[in-house]
Amino acid sequence: MNSDSPVVLVVDDEAQIRRFLRAGFELDGFTVEEADNGSNAIRKATLSPPDLLIVDLGLPDMDGSEIVQRLRAWSSVPLIVLSVRSNEAEKVRLLELGADDYVVKPFGMAELLARAHAALRRRVTTSTGEPIVKSGRLTIDFGARLVTIDSERVPLTPKEYRLLQVLAQHAGNVVTHQHLLKEVWGSPHVHDIHYLRIFVRKLRQKIEVDATKPQILLTELGIGYRLAASPPAPAIGARQITET
Amino acid sequence: MLDQMRDRSELHRIGMALVLVAAMTVTMILVNQYVRPTNRSVVYLIPVIAAAVWWGVLPAVMAALAGIVAAVFFFYPPVYSFKVPQSPQLVNLALFLVVALVTGRLATAVRAQAEVARKREKEVRELYAFSRRLGTARAASDIYAAIQEHLSNLIQRKAVLFEADSAKPVDTGGRNDQWVPEQIHAEISRYAGGDGTSESGSVIDGGGGHLWLVRHVAPKTPAFGAIAIDLGGAADSGIDDVRGRIDEVLADAAATLDRLDIARVIDDARMRSETEVLREALIGSVSHELRTPLASILGSATVLCNTPTVAEDERLGALANVIRDEAERLNSDIQNLLDATRITSQSLKPLQQWVECADLINSALERRDRRLAGHVVTTDVASDLPLIYVDPVLMEQALVQILDNAAKYSTPGSTISVTARREGDEIVLSVADRGTGFTREEHDHLGERFFRGQRHLTTIPGSGLGLWIANAFVTASNGELEVTSSGTNQGSIVSVRLPVVREAILQLERAGDE
Repeated sequence: MNSDSPVVLVVDDEAQIRRFLRAGFELDGFTVEEADNGSNAIRKATLSPPDLLIVDLGLPDMDGSEIVQRLRAWSSVPLIVLSVRSNEAEKVRLLELGADDYVVKPFGMAELLARAHAALRRRVTTSTGEPIVKSGRLTIDFGARLVTIDSERVPLTPKEYRLLQVLAQHAGNVVTHQHLLKEVWGSPHVHDIHYLRIFVRKLRQKIEVDATKPQILLTELGIGYRLAASPPAPAIGARQITET
Repeated sequence: MLDQMRDRSELHRIGMALVLVAAMTVTMILVNQYVRPTNRSVVYLIPVIAAAVWWGVLPAVMAALAGIVAAVFFFYPPVYSFKVPQSPQLVNLALFLVVALVTGRLATAVRAQAEVARKREKEVRELYAFSRRLGTARAASDIYAAIQEHLSNLIQRKAVLFEADSAKPVDTGGRNDQWVPEQIHAEISRYAGGDGTSESGSVIDGGGGHLWLVRHVAPKTPAFGAIAIDLGGAADSGIDDVRGRIDEVLADAAATLDRLDIARVIDDARMRSETEVLREALIGSVSHELRTPLASILGSATVLCNTPTVAEDERLGALANVIRDEAERLNSDIQNLLDATRITSQSLKPLQQWVECADLINSALERRDRRLAGHVVTTDVASDLPLIYVDPVLMEQALVQILDNAAKYSTPGSTISVTARREGDEIVLSVADRGTGFTREEHDHLGERFFRGQRHLTTIPGSGLGLWIANAFVTASNGELEVTSSGTNQGSIVSVRLPVVREAILQLERAGDE
């Protein structure tokens, strides 16, 4: 991916933040564009659409949710928001508005890069219609509706499969509780988080080495779940598939 | 209209007096057949006195005159005629009239006194009830309700109390009608504002022929608010009397308000709401002002750590790591201060939801992975635990604090074990370390903010906020924080005890249905 040098538009009013983001992204092979306020960002994004947007929420001229909404009105460009507020409800709202992921300031560059790559990959998979998503030892074949671990088939119930499918479509990025509940159980159950918890537990028992130490299906407390983009190789060797 | 009604009832009373006289006459005629009393006119004193006691002077006079007429007609010879033949009988009648009028007058006076006494007794009883209510009042609102009701009873008029600042009617539990005319409201606002007001209050025409008295509840302490009282029609006499009684009631009430130190409480409440606004502003600005540069420092450090030229040079790499780690520590210190402010300002609003214990523990461990890197961390989470109903963010932060402490007070390389298990009706999340533990004295002070053990003051940096914050966050999710230590350098176990919610077990049982 680095070879075609994806363009990232960094939107932040703090020059120091833009400076280190530029260094970090350039070291990782990105081409960096900058904007110091919301209207500049929208103009730049319109004139030459970037491959990725990093948007700070405390912009002087525009509320974070406004910029997300205005961009999402016409563009599906991957978008990650930077927030100093550790307010979970705010994050959930921005994700529901169409942000692909969030990072809470202060953050490490590695964390942001991991989110950025995941968001970029989502665009590649959706545009090319890639039928297979991998997460470490886990493979999800959308075409065949087949889930395997180390090439061994994992028997899943329809709802478990649907849950995994929605997460896999956003592999590497967070998916909110509300979104998952709506996709798997339907709108009336959008607040029944305990459904999700119980199903995630069962799913983890089938796909994780140790369901209490998940490496694939990760929890974002108070926000949602995230399918690990590239989990570390398992320390334990072959595992047994839980019987259903 | 009122006068007509008064006339009618007076006529009614005179009629009753005459009926009494008639009844007396009939009785006398019957008695006459057996005995013959000599001075029969004296008997007519009975209806006169009765009329005087029950109905007043005029009915008594009428009864006396009717008595004379009846005596002359029925009993004085010649019987059944109005002729009064002999002078001794005339003297008798004159004497009767004088005695009847005097006794009637006396009886009326006695009656009036009895009435006054009854009214006084009622007032005293009400006043007693009022002062008893004041005596048991624990809050200003009790007193306000008592004042309002007592004044309404006492003067049979509407009385409405208003808060000092807002000039809004005081909430007395919706028991009273609190409407006042527009002009009165304007005057109340003036009193609430405290400008150009007089100590004894002002009397204002509220329209519809009603005068209203507007004054401070206590002229010396405007904070107690103002009161508007309907004094009734302008023509009514006795307004001064009513105002005198109002003054007495309010003086009593003000004394009670003083005793309860309500003024200070009211002041405090106002101050608190002002400082709270300030504090919120400060939290916002501190979190922004300190964290923005910190975000640049931390971000730049992480970029440096990953830059090949720095990473390859051992010394430069180590320096970059120092910047990164210290920036992270500073960040969590700021977080602690912000959390502490939230706790003391009681602005913690837990958002509880169903959470997996394993998720909480993993998330907290991940947030502290760099700080725990030097330790051996083992986790043991039972796989069949029911979900817990907590605020995930607060609970994670509490665990982070506990893990921080475990890492800080135990030597690198030692084991920190994190467990989650069910104990009867509780779920227990524990962090056990092999560190310095607690002395008995340290253990006693653990719940205090800013407490730090003497032996660590110079050796281990810290703010003394960690466990205090953890405790507050755990309590906010209906849990309990428990700290045990077998003694100095024997390690310690910090446990979060959370109740098992019955519903969570049902959820697990129902989980098979799709």
